[in-house]
Amino acid sequence: MAAGDERALGELYDRHGSTVYALARAIVGERADTEEVVADAFGQAWRTAGQFDPARGSVTAWLATITRTRALDLVRARGRRSKVLARAAQESDAGFATPLASSDAPDRDVERQETRQLVTRSLGELPEAQRRVIELAYFGGLSHSEIAAELKEPLGTVKTRLRAAMEKLRDALSPRIRQVEP
Amino acid sequence: MTEHRWTELAAPYALGSLDPGERAEFERHLETCASCRVEVQSFREVSGLLARGVAHATPPAELRARVVRYARRARPAILPWAVAAAVVLAILGGFGYWRAANEARVLRTRFDVAQSQLDSTKYVVAALLDSSVAITDLAATGKAPSMRLYWNRARNIVVVAAFDLPPAPAGRTYQLWAIEKGRAPVSVGTFNSAPSGRPVITLQMPAGVQPEVSAVTEEPAGGSPQPTQQPFLVGSWRSRS
Ligand SMILES: [Zn+2]
Repeated sequence: MAAGDERALGELYDRHGSTVYALARAIVGERADTEEVVADAFGQAWRTAGQFDPARGSVTAWLATITRTRALDLVRARGRRSKVLARAAQESDAGFATPLASSDAPDRDVERQETRQLVTRSLGELPEAQRRVIELAYFGGLSHSEIAAELKEPLGTVKTRLRAAMEKLRDALSPRIRQVEP
Repeated sequence: MTEHRWTELAAPYALGSLDPGERAEFERHLETCASCRVEVQSFREVSGLLARGVAHATPPAELRARVVRYARRARPAILPWAVAAAVVLAILGGFGYWRAANEARVLRTRFDVAQSQLDSTKYVVAALLDSSVAITDLAATGKAPSMRLYWNRARNIVVVAAFDLPPAPAGRTYQLWAIEKGRAPVSVGTFNSAPSGRPVITLQMPAGVQPEVSAVTEEPAGGSPQPTQQPFLVGSWRSRS
């Protein structure tokens, strides 16, 4: 790898490393596993960078998809799903930041700080039941029917809630979403 | 966007929450439905932004070196040069929508200024006004220089408008490259900058070349058959079909 390429990867890490780390941490929990997921995710991003098309989506979305997939794979491989579920059920140290916590972690980058506040506020505006479904799907990697079993709710209800929550979030976050090309 | 029953599956698909059967069915549908693909991507963007709302955790300082070391082993099989271009684009994309929109505005204003200073030869104007013209902005990771390309597909003319581009050092030239996916870069031509730093040059796109990405390198005078340097300006062509 040429020095210039390595610099490009370094810049990618400097810009997105803390988000990728926080996301991996929220899913896998343990620190050693988190680091493994982060290295793994950037490795995959690096290998597949040639297929990434900035006209069709943001780097943030691309990296988040890779990170969630790697993190959830690791959790499944370790057979630690129940632990993850237990954590996703709490709202303490893992999961989405509470509005209070998010202001505790100031970001020097104003745009990122504002995005973070908007995301936290948008999540806070969801009805509790919808937010739970999103958390189980996002951090626990649960499917519709697994969420239904976990919450002891009808499958149709879970599907409706998840979709409604995602649509609300998309509306609320639309100032931060670039129009993509098909 | 037409509303059809498949649209309902876009959000859970983007989150990875569809049960296996439904997921396989929806993936088959996605192969042929552009509107559902756009829908899925919009929810992937939501999912990406949710990562910004995750409880804060500070990565250990030594992790950066580990990531770079690990990636070095996972060196891609494709042209490293093309990969570098893609990663530069990735970094630019990561600036976030607001800043990107803002930079595009600034660039547009500067271009309007540059354009008003052009001696408006019919050639350039006709090339720009044609409906078949595709536009891309090439940008560097730093602030300056930047460049806008207008590609008149009907006549295969590329008009290059650069900003804050200093003249190439003695014995060197700038060279514009057209890059098609999975292929070696093709030279579009060499050029130099004006003392104003705002040259406007017309070049000929080689016949039959449909680049996805364009890039600029600095080369020995006369140009090179293949780039000998890392590109300092990179941009992707968005199809306007
Ligand atoms: Zn469809």
